[in-house]
Amino acid sequence: MGQKGFFTDTTLCIGCKACEVACKQWNQLPDDGFQFTGMSYDNSGHLGSSTWRHVAFVERPVPSPTQNTAGMAFSWLMASDVCKHCQRAGCLEACPTGAIIRTEFDTVYVQPDVCNGCGYCVTACPFGVIDRREDDGRAWKCTLCYDRLGEDMTPACAKACPTASIQFGDVEELRERAHRRVEQLHEKGLDAAYLYGADAENQPGTGGLNAFFLLVDKPEVYNLPPDPVVPTMKGKDAWASMGWGALGMAVMAIGAVLLGREVAR
Amino acid sequence: MSDDIRPEDLEKRQDGRNIDSRLGVLAGEGAQQRVKGIDEANPSRGLLRTRPSQSGVNAESPSYYGQPAIKEPVWIWSIPLYFYVGGVAGAASVLGAAADVFGGERMEGLGRRCRWVGTAGDIVSSGLLIYDLGRPTRFLNMLRVFRPTSPMSVGSWVLVGSGAMNTASLLFAGRRGWLGRAGEGAAIAAGLLGLPLAGYTAVLIANTAVPIWQATRKSLPLLFMSSAMAGAGSLMELLPHPKRDEKVLHLFSAMGKVGELLAGVAVQHEASRLEVLVRPLKHGPSGTLWKAAKVCTAASLALGVWPGRRKWMKVARALLGSAGALLTRFAVFRAGKVSASDPQTTFQPQRQGMGAAEVTGHTHASDGKPFKFPLPVLHEASALPRREIPAARHLESELGPEPPTAPTP
Ligand code: SF4
Ligand code: SF4
Repeated sequence: MGQKGFFTDTTLCIGCKACEVACKQWNQLPDDGFQFTGMSYDNSGHLGSSTWRHVAFVERPVPSPTQNTAGMAFSWLMASDVCKHCQRAGCLEACPTGAIIRTEFDTVYVQPDVCNGCGYCVTACPFGVIDRREDDGRAWKCTLCYDRLGEDMTPACAKACPTASIQFGDVEELRERAHRRVEQLHEKGLDAAYLYGADAENQPGTGGLNAFFLLVDKPEVYNLPPDPVVPTMKGKDAWASMGWGALGMAVMAIGAVLLGREVAR
Repeated sequence: MSDDIRPEDLEKRQDGRNIDSRLGVLAGEGAQQRVKGIDEANPSRGLLRTRPSQSGVNAESPSYYGQPAIKEPVWIWSIPLYFYVGGVAGAASVLGAAADVFGGERMEGLGRRCRWVGTAGDIVSSGLLIYDLGRPTRFLNMLRVFRPTSPMSVGSWVLVGSGAMNTASLLFAGRRGWLGRAGEGAAIAAGLLGLPLAGYTAVLIANTAVPIWQATRKSLPLLFMSSAMAGAGSLMELLPHPKRDEKVLHLFSAMGKVGELLAGVAVQHEASRLEVLVRPLKHGPSGTLWKAAKVCTAASLALGVWPGRRKWMKVARALLGSAGALLTRFAVFRAGKVSASDPQTTFQPQRQGMGAAEVTGHTHASDGKPFKFPLPVLHEASALPRREIPAARHLESELGPEPPTAPTP
């Protein structure tokens, strides 16, 4: 089946939100209560259990060589964010029930009938993607349209995107395309363009993302962590420390008993 | 007026998806999600004061309008309470097993009482977990698989195993024949399982993306385990015991309290690598809880070494010790929530090489730049004085000077 994924080229995004709408429609997700954040034209704020694509609107007092803003020192960055379907997915490694699986398309999928709503995956995702719905109690996130992939169809968001900002395909091929695009942008004078999470070399903490991005500013500007790490990579330290703690506790318990016996005699 | 309610609004209220359910069935992936009730206030409302011009996108440590970068833990009060109860159950089982094996005949009673506390703790723990999950069957679901990468999976098995062993030892220990021997074996097994039961909850929270928990992963297990000893000892001191057993309990809980205070210093030291990380332990409600926990533990310890053996002192000592152990868990829990909701707490440590770089030795962020501020990404940007931006100038005169961009909790 091969590795399927997204390449999101944020320089092409026009913020039309077609992806958000297409995702909601195909997956029949309930609405989020039409509210603007009040900080930009962003009305969904962040990814959540019923928002599986989220378009970020970044208003910068900085000009961009690829945007014509009538000489004003001003530019827009728009980026359609999504679950990254990490190669080493924190959510998957944390889930105690086996509800989160890796599919034959190498995507990360939450089985709603197995999830028991413990919420551990929510704290384990270094990108803050997956979330638990309060009413439902279970965790939900982008499935990379698992049901469509099985039918050889393109995910709804990529299909709906009018500017090809969201590109779907085999991850290998997407990477090549992305590298070419970065070069092209550099030639155009947009030196800041770079890939975020394209492979394990690029983002060692997650082993690379199956849904990676082309960005032109610091990751934080798009609400992406600069150096995310799957928590289990650091888990060893905690387990080792617990081992020492256990040793200490056993010694102290035995010591208390022995000392108590001595004193009582 | 009721006339104002349009049919499509009714439809919307029914399923929240603007789909006429008479025209088709809901079969999409997310169709199992029920509808949100009334519109909640957008969680970002509190950030309304963040104006685009000061959203920090051109600041040295930018963020996306101050929005949290990761999700806040969704757990409620029952989880920190479980951390306490589970810790008490674990430490009591350990002491029980130690009394059985090393205490000789005269300490059989102490071992038995410890196992009672352990069993009760295991049962209450399961209850608290089920309360958080919502349904008892969901707890069974936890035992569907065993996954070593998930401390929660490991912990569920430990909790169930410890409950089973404690119960078995209560039922069978002291009987004649092989049943009695099995019961004694179960008591020891419960003691061995008590060790991870007291400590795994710290590993559980350290193994998350929550910055302060992740950053303190080396000292947190020590804090939780010593505080479990203090908690178990203090709780059992409230029960009547023979003199000899009282001595043991006092020693056990005193060692726990000393450990708790020392480990508390270690946690704070580990978090102090960056100002943003340690902030929740110093300020706000979580800081207050943290300080209160220390004060209670220290006071309890002081009462223990104070000369004079009066009844009220013993009770106060036990109560303060329990409060210290309980408050410690709540403080750590609250601090985690606070640190998850501030994006800088996620970003800054990663920029300083405390992200993946810490374990992989890879010292470049994913944008290929080294972990160091200032990080020039758009050169033209930094050269531009703010005055040249008409929109920003307008905002400035309209809204006054900029407050600092870093959000304080
Ligand atoms: S981005 Fe988060 S939710 Fe998506 S696969 Fe990675 S860890 Fe899981
Ligand atoms: S909430 Fe569901 S998907 Fe997430 S870790 Fe728990 S069981 Fe797994």
